[in-house]
Amino acid sequence: MTEPEVRPLALKREGDGLQIDWADGTRTHTPWRTLRSQCPCATCDDERKKPANPFRVLSDREVAAGPPTPVRMKAVGAYAYQIEWNDGHSTGIYTLDALRRLGSELLPASPDS
Amino acid sequence: MPPPAAPPKTPLPGVKHLIAIASGKGGVGKSTVAANLALALHMYGQRVGLMDADIYGPSVPIMFGLGMIDQTKTPFPVEKFGLKLMSMGFVVSADQAVIWRGPKVAQAVGAMLFQPPWGELDFLIVDLPPGTGDAQLTLSQSAPLTGAIIVTQPAEVSLIDARKGVKMFEEVRVPILGIIENMSYLGLPDGTRLHPLGQGGGAKLAAEIGVPFLGEIPIDAQVSQCGDAGEPIVRKFPDHPISKSYLMLAQAVVNEMLKQPTNAALPDVDL
Repeated sequence: MTEPEVRPLALKREGDGLQIDWADGTRTHTPWRTLRSQCPCATCDDERKKPANPFRVLSDREVAAGPPTPVRMKAVGAYAYQIEWNDGHSTGIYTLDALRRLGSELLPASPDS
Repeated sequence: MPPPAAPPKTPLPGVKHLIAIASGKGGVGKSTVAANLALALHMYGQRVGLMDADIYGPSVPIMFGLGMIDQTKTPFPVEKFGLKLMSMGFVVSADQAVIWRGPKVAQAVGAMLFQPPWGELDFLIVDLPPGTGDAQLTLSQSAPLTGAIIVTQPAEVSLIDARKGVKMFEEVRVPILGIIENMSYLGLPDGTRLHPLGQGGGAKLAAEIGVPFLGEIPIDAQVSQCGDAGEPIVRKFPDHPISKSYLMLAQAVVNEMLKQPTNAALPDVDL
């Protein structure tokens, strides 16, 4: 059978990133910049596999947006969250496993969990 | 530790348990199982709805003796045999092919699930098409699924695809409530059983993934005859051995639900 799943209890904006309190007592924090750069959508995944293009011209919207920050973040079923970013990108669905993996641990899991 | 965030508003607030009847493979009898299980649950006094999520090949209309429905005369969901029903077959003629790409399928599944006023239901059973595609993903991403029941036949060729269905639900964190093995055996008048489609596959799959084996449904020509005639066997012949198998299945499902939370929704994000 699958391993016991890790479930989020609370998610909130904290500073320049996302703080998640998990059911096993762990608290993680992930900068928005990290989440944006690790967008799991097929397009971003494909772009990351290519060599960096120094000649890429940013769109007006990207220039105007500034540092990445979420406009909206909603649950997708029981397994993920979808983030709509200030640069207009919104196709990334971040699974709970990915959110946990991308987070830096602030509080460890409790011994009883 | 801070207290958990308040649970978000759920779609389908009146539905206590939303259960998908699924299988990776086609032709195992999902629609027959879904229709008869829904009726069996109703016979146990449960308030039940049945949503036919097979856009390309809807089965609910013929199984319940219905055709296209004029919504100006009969509102959705349609009530028949004590159930509330919704199907693509109510809006598209049976002799018309639905030739749609994925996004339209997803849109239609969402519309049929969320637009009809289902009201207060103990169970809303969703009869999924075979596979692990748009209908399954739409349901998993947007509906508060209590869980999925996997239907398989005994043969390994069916199990291979059933495992894919199980894997899909595990990826999207939808609990597998149990396995039903359909067309398990043919019972002969002298009491012996033939196993033309193999033996033991359902129990084997249930043991593999650590979920309850909910039971076997034997082969009987009357099952399809009743389905074709528009009155599922559980209602037409409630004392038939197959109907009794479905009643036992319904009891097993009700018992499993006592162990499941009614709301497994993820918390909202405080931005």
